[in-house]
Amino acid sequence: MSEKKYTKDHEWVSIQDEVATMGITNHAQESLGDIVFVELPEIGKLVQAGDQVGVIESVKAASEIYSPVSGKIKEVNNELINTPQLINTDPENSGWYIKINIKKTDELNNLLSFNQYKKIIY
Amino acid sequence: MSEILQTVYLNDFYNLQGAKLAPFSGYSMPLNFSKGIIKEHLHTRSSVGIFDVSHMGKMLIPCNNININNLEIIIPQDLQKLETYNSVYTFILNNEGGIIDDLIISKVKIDNYDYFFLVYNSSRKEIDQAIISDLVSDTDILLDSTILAIQGPLSQNIINDLFPESSDMKFMQIKTINYKNENILISRSGYTGEDGFEIIIPNKVIIEFIKNVLSYEETLLCGLGSRDSLRLEAGLCLYGNELNENISPIQANLGWAIPISRIKQGGFKGHKRILNEINNGVSKKRVGIKLKSNSILRSHMTLHDNNEYKIGEITSGGFSPSLNISIAMAYIDTNIITKQIAINCLIRNNMEEVEITNLPFIQHNYKRGKQ
Repeated sequence: MSEKKYTKDHEWVSIQDEVATMGITNHAQESLGDIVFVELPEIGKLVQAGDQVGVIESVKAASEIYSPVSGKIKEVNNELINTPQLINTDPENSGWYIKINIKKTDELNNLLSFNQYKKIIY
Repeated sequence: MSEILQTVYLNDFYNLQGAKLAPFSGYSMPLNFSKGIIKEHLHTRSSVGIFDVSHMGKMLIPCNNININNLEIIIPQDLQKLETYNSVYTFILNNEGGIIDDLIISKVKIDNYDYFFLVYNSSRKEIDQAIISDLVSDTDILLDSTILAIQGPLSQNIINDLFPESSDMKFMQIKTINYKNENILISRSGYTGEDGFEIIIPNKVIIEFIKNVLSYEETLLCGLGSRDSLRLEAGLCLYGNELNENISPIQANLGWAIPISRIKQGGFKGHKRILNEINNGVSKKRVGIKLKSNSILRSHMTLHDNNEYKIGEITSGGFSPSLNISIAMAYIDTNIITKQIAINCLIRNNMEEVEITNLPFIQHNYKRGKQ
């Protein structure tokens, strides 16, 4: 398991065996507030880093979710369909959003370390 | 360049209480506190929520015949007949019958003088005040007072405990009460659909008062986020969303707020259009919308018939914590409403089926007097 990486769009990515698991950060869920709906991408879909892959909606507003890496959608977190609040209660573990088979591992160098991400949010 | 926001008097107190702040019509206001919008919403439906709405405009106008006659030019209410200690919901109208603002007017007695007390929208303050001060003399804009809304089915217990003299009040009544040697106003009204009170209280005694209110275990401090979802469920209009200078009270389904006597007599701005719309109908009308899927309706989304022809637009939409689905208010072509056809909302790139419903979504729980 590699260290967790972050994006400026307040997403986290964790890599294992060329599979990236991603979700939104604790800071993101705190600022969005109560999550009430999640739109997930189709499994098998090919995405480029920066593509919009879905939407997470809080009571207040809809937020677009972008893929932090290029690859193929391997898995989506179906638990979120009936329990979108998982993103509030456990954003960086059981509230994960999708898993992606990574195409270009060098893209990971563009992601932020925890310390770099911390500088964005504080 | 970020806009410089005003704050309410209790801003520092709310920061200490963990408020998440958001800009709202020129003010930095609490959006929610630590429990979040949904918990605040449900707490208000079952117990008591406390909301600061001091950003709203507050004005006293001496109650005399000249002022009544001049106000009735822009306000389609029977102010002459308004009894002391009663309130009415009404509008300021433009020449074309469009709504410049919606507001509550009460008649109160302060130190033995009769006044109209107006509470109007924060976003329309300057416009309203300019129009009114052109028409009437001696307006007094209250700047050093807080408005606290105490809303929910158990609010009566707290208000009666604090102010035993309020126990006989009914919905849309108002009282002047002495509190710590200050005049405060208590109105039995609100913007949540629940029984509730709005207290207008001088800032010099507000800190002590709000601490006292929050010491009742039924209460929860709430922000404008839940106030918005509560008023949406209650089918209540928000100026700038459901109401604007092109929309008439008849289109907004608020014709009930204009007394028949004024419709017959006229003598107010926009009377011609309103009479015409009452007699001949309107081309679009405010309705309630429920979404069948579990996505979320938002303002400005468009509504379509099965041929994808646009037939309406959402003005307020969101998640309903009480119903656990997404609800909205929208303006829809009137000829569609009577036809039993399927209607869709364009959500991102998908057409999703919605249902037209009556308003409110949640029955009002007002303590009305005998009519």
